[in-house]
Order: sequence, then C-alpha cells, then structure tokens
Amino acid sequence: MPVRSLRLRLLASAAAAVFLALAIAGFGLHLLFERHIERREALSMEAKAHELLAALRLDTQGRPVVDPLPSDTRFNQPAGGLYWQVSTASGQAHSPSLWDQSITSMPGTPRDHWRIRRVPGPFAQGLLVIERMVEPDRSSRAALVQVATDDSALSDAQREFSLEMIGSLVLLWLVLTGAAYGQVVLGLKPLGRIRAELDRMRRNPGARLSADHPAEIDPLANAINSLADARAADVDRARRRAADLAHSLKTPLAALAAQSRRAREAGAHEAADGLDRAIAAAGAALEAELARSRSAVAREAQTASRANVLAAAEAVAAVIERTEAGERIVFEIDVPEDIELPFAASDLAEILGALMENAARFARRRVTVSGTAADNEVCVTIADDGPGIADTRAATALVRGGRLDEAGPGHGFGLAIVSDLVSATDGAMTLGAGPLGGLEVRLAWPAATAS
Amino acid sequence: MRLLVVEDDPDVGDDLVRALGEAGFVVDLAVTGDDAWYRGDTENYAAVILDLGLPRLDGLSVLRRWRSSGRNFPVLILTARSEWTEKVEGIDAGADDYLAKPFAMGELVARVRALLRRAAGHGSSVIRIGRLALDTSRMSAHVDTHTIRLSPLEYRFLEFLAHQRGSVIAAHDIAEHLYGTADVGDTNAIEALVTRLRRKVGPGIVETRRGFGYVLSEEG
Repeated sequence: MPVRSLRLRLLASAAAAVFLALAIAGFGLHLLFERHIERREALSMEAKAHELLAALRLDTQGRPVVDPLPSDTRFNQPAGGLYWQVSTASGQAHSPSLWDQSITSMPGTPRDHWRIRRVPGPFAQGLLVIERMVEPDRSSRAALVQVATDDSALSDAQREFSLEMIGSLVLLWLVLTGAAYGQVVLGLKPLGRIRAELDRMRRNPGARLSADHPAEIDPLANAINSLADARAADVDRARRRAADLAHSLKTPLAALAAQSRRAREAGAHEAADGLDRAIAAAGAALEAELARSRSAVAREAQTASRANVLAAAEAVAAVIERTEAGERIVFEIDVPEDIELPFAASDLAEILGALMENAARFARRRVTVSGTAADNEVCVTIADDGPGIADTRAATALVRGGRLDEAGPGHGFGLAIVSDLVSATDGAMTLGAGPLGGLEVRLAWPAATAS
Repeated sequence: MRLLVVEDDPDVGDDLVRALGEAGFVVDLAVTGDDAWYRGDTENYAAVILDLGLPRLDGLSVLRRWRSSGRNFPVLILTARSEWTEKVEGIDAGADDYLAKPFAMGELVARVRALLRRAAGHGSSVIRIGRLALDTSRMSAHVDTHTIRLSPLEYRFLEFLAHQRGSVIAAHDIAEHLYGTADVGDTNAIEALVTRLRRKVGPGIVETRRGFGYVLSEEG
C-alpha cells in the first residue's frame, strides 16, 4: 500500500538518503584509516629495515649474515611480534623471534621500493610485511629482505576506530534525520494553515484564503480563491435566475386569477375554485422558493456589508405605518444609532419587516423595537401589546409552513422563513411573553459577527 | 370616484378595471409609464393603482414625477417583487400602500377603499402653529424649512391638537379621538406616540403640561 502521508514520505526518503550518504562516508573513512595506519607502520618498519641493511652482508657461499643484529628486543623474543628474514639463493637468515618458522615469499618483489602486503604468518599471527630485493655488495647477488610485524594491534586499532566511527555516524544520522523532520514540519506548515482556512471557507462560503502565504503556496491559494469566486458567482447567477423566474411568474399568476374571476362570472364555479387553489399553491411555492433562495444567499454573502439596525427598523416602520394594519399602531423604536450587523441591509429589512408587520397585525396600540449591544452579543427585541401566544403555538410558528394566523392576509406568520434567515446570518431567534403582554421575539447575533 | 389603473399585463389590467368598475368606481387604464404619467399629471383621480414593472418608464419613476409636481392622490403600488427593501423604496417614493402579486381582488378593493377613506376630508390647506406647518393635503409636516413625513396616526394626532389651538388636551381625550377608547393601554400608547413624534419633529413643538396633557407650541 502506498504511503499516503506526505510528511512520512519526505521523512522516510530523507532518512534513507542521509543513511546512504553516511554509509558511503563511513566506508571511505574506514579505508582511509586503514591505509593511514598501514603507511605509518610501514615507515616504522622501513627504519628497522635500514638498520638491518646496514648490518647485512653475504658470506663467500652467498649466504646472508647479519651482524650486529637489529637493536629492537622484540626481534629476539620467539613469537615476539616483530620479525625479519633475509633470503638468498644460497641460504636464509632470520630473527630469533621467528624461531623455526619463516615468512613466505612471493615472486615479483621490487628492487626500487618497499612492497607492503599482508600474509598469514607463523604462530597463528597475521603479518604486515614490507619486502624488497637488495644487493648488499658489489657482487650483484640479490637478497630478499623482509621485515614483518604482527598486524593484530593494527586490526584492534582499526576495529576500535570503526566502532567509534559507526557510533558517531549513527548519532549524526539521528541528528540529520531530526533536522529533516524539522524541515518537513516547517515546510508543510503553510499547508496546515491552508487546510484550516479551507475549513473556514467550507463553513462560511464568503471567506477566502489569506494573501500572505509563502511564495510557493501563493499561486495555489490564488487559484483556490479564483475557483471559489467563480463558483460563488455561478451559484449567485443561478439563484438570481431562479428568483427572477419566480418573480416573472407572479404576473401570469395574477392574470390567471383574472381568468378565474371571469370563469366564476360565467357560472363555472368549480373550474374557478380549481384555478384559485392552483394559483394559491403556486404562489405559496414561489414565496417559499424565494425565501429559501434569500436564506441561501444570506448564508453565503457574509461579506463586508453592514446593516444599521435603527435605519432598517425606522424604514420598515415607515412602511407599516402607512398600511391599514399599521396605521393605528405606535412604533417605539429604541435602538442606539451605532448598532450594526455584518450582513446585507436588505436581509435585515426582510427579518424586521416580517416580525414588525406581524407584531403590528396582533398589537392593540403599541409595538416596541429595542436594540442593545453587550460584550458578547447584539440583541434586537420586537414586542407588541397584543394577546400573545402560548408556548405550544410558538413552537408551531417556528416550523416551516406553520402559521399563527391562518385567516390573516398575506403569507401567514412566516416566522419559519424569518428563522431561516436569522440562522443563515449566524443569529438565534426566541419567542416568549413580552413586557407589554403580547409576543416578544428576541433576535441575538454573537458579538464576534456583529459590531 | 375616478381611479387610474396602470398595468401593462392585459389580463390583469382588464380584470382590475372590471373588478373596480363593479365596486362602483370609474376606472381609466394606462398600459405604459409615459401614458400613466401624462394622465396622472393632467387629470384628477381619487386614487391610482400603479404596477411597478412597466415598459419604457418604470412605476417608481412615474410616482416620483407625480409627487415632485405636487400630485397628491393616494397611490397603491402593485409589484411582482415582495421584498421589504422594495416596499421601503415604494413608500419613500411617495406610495401610500403596497400589494404584492398575485393578490386577491377582494383585498385590493378593500385596500383602495381604505386609502380613499384615509384621504377623505383633507382639503388643500396648510395649518400653521408656531414653527409647525401641517399640510392637510399631503398629510405631512414642516418644521422651519424641513419637511417631515408622518405616519397617519402621527398626522391625526398633530391635526387634532392643531384644531384645538392653544388648549391643553388630556391624553385621555386624544386617545378617545384617535382610537375611540381611552383605557390605560391607550393613554400609554399616546405617550409613546408623543415620544416618537418629538424624535421626528424635534423638541419644542409638542409641549407637555404635566398632569394636564399636551399642547402645540405657538412660539415662532
């Protein structure tokens, strides 16, 4: 199964790459160290070989004679770890340390420099040997000179070095992998922010990604914003078209109502009744669709627009005061001038219009509209001095299609439609008994979204 | 009584003419904004039923032109749109009532009758008391040079006090005049009405005589 976490993939590949690099480096260091200590040992043995060469001569039969013996006492102890051997065609001389053993030879020994090689030696020791062909006198007789040392000390040093090096390299691998983890976390952090902002966009379609992302992320954020804008424009266009269609159907419905009246006058009462029922149903469906469309637009369009509560309440009151239902009603509007809500003024007019018109319909003399801005919420209350409603009826009124005043003009109480619009603008609506004895409708918006 | 119906849809227009004719009105029909504006500007109608979606010149523009040239007949606007911002715009342009399509013909006739009843008895005269001038034909008030739009209730309150010039009228009597009843709720409503009115016309117009009632100030 492929790894789906980008962080894990980056981290695993970084860890593997660092491991490979450190392994190669470790191998290289191991080789370098090996060559270094071999060369140092070879130099030390060359010094001893020079002492040997100075004491070397060939006797008349061509056998090698070394006198005096080299000074290093290890040459004199059997299996002492340091050996020399001189071989000619006629005979061989070697250090007492070799006892009855000898150092193997290999053809092709150079005359002009020391050759270094490792060989299995006597006494179960591995040997590091330097060897060279020399002519001790002018007789042109050649002698093979070999100086060897037990290489177990070298191997121990090399093993110790390797262990310490591996420990250091593992530590380095951990540090570098940790650094890679930090880099991955830091590098992917803007993606986390994008995810949080996209989540906000999902909850509030009017929101957009911020513009201060790193240069590599910016084009992505811009593309997402453009996509969201295009989609919002499409949705808006579709909704407007639906709303326009709904509005454009109203005049033909009025014309159908005219036909219905004519049919009734001509005695076709049943046909007229049927037409009237169809007109009423179509009209109600259109209103419901328009209300739904308005709520959806309000939900998406929480942009920079602001609605002044006092201005909206006064404008609505001015309309209702002129209608028959409102002409005997006094509107007491007690709202501070600076209370604003963060959505379109037309949506607030729709909310207050439906509620204040309803209050005026039920009120005896007075309708009060009050507004307060507290620390954590903005509250608008509409109350009347009418008969009020029981709690059970209040619950009914909030259900879509539920009406308090089935016989009243217009489209019923419409509280469910208002409730939709209030919740679409992040507000809450509660019904209860008001101080004037009638219904009180309390609207509250959180202060974070209001001012 | 002569009414003007302005409606471009032939079915709806004919139906309005017939229904209002049956209700006892003499009805003229205009089908374009231009025609409507011309007729309203040149003839005397008791009320106008005005569709807002008209060809060439829209209903709101027609209404604004009539009001700016001093035509004061009551206007009921008809529109396919039922948003409150449209209602506010219509009332601001000078409409007196508003009905959304599709409507019940009975309701329209009742609304027209209510409009005519409200407009009845207002001659073309201006009553002046102190800084206040009441235009009885437009049901509006002027304070100094400012024109103030009043609700029908506010207008009737001021008109009642204006006709009792110089007398202090008790809230009880005002409620009796405005509502036909005068219980505690009614007199409280009068207090609320005065508060609201003072906010519109400013201080020093409606004076309170504590314990007695209200009087319009005669100071210029």
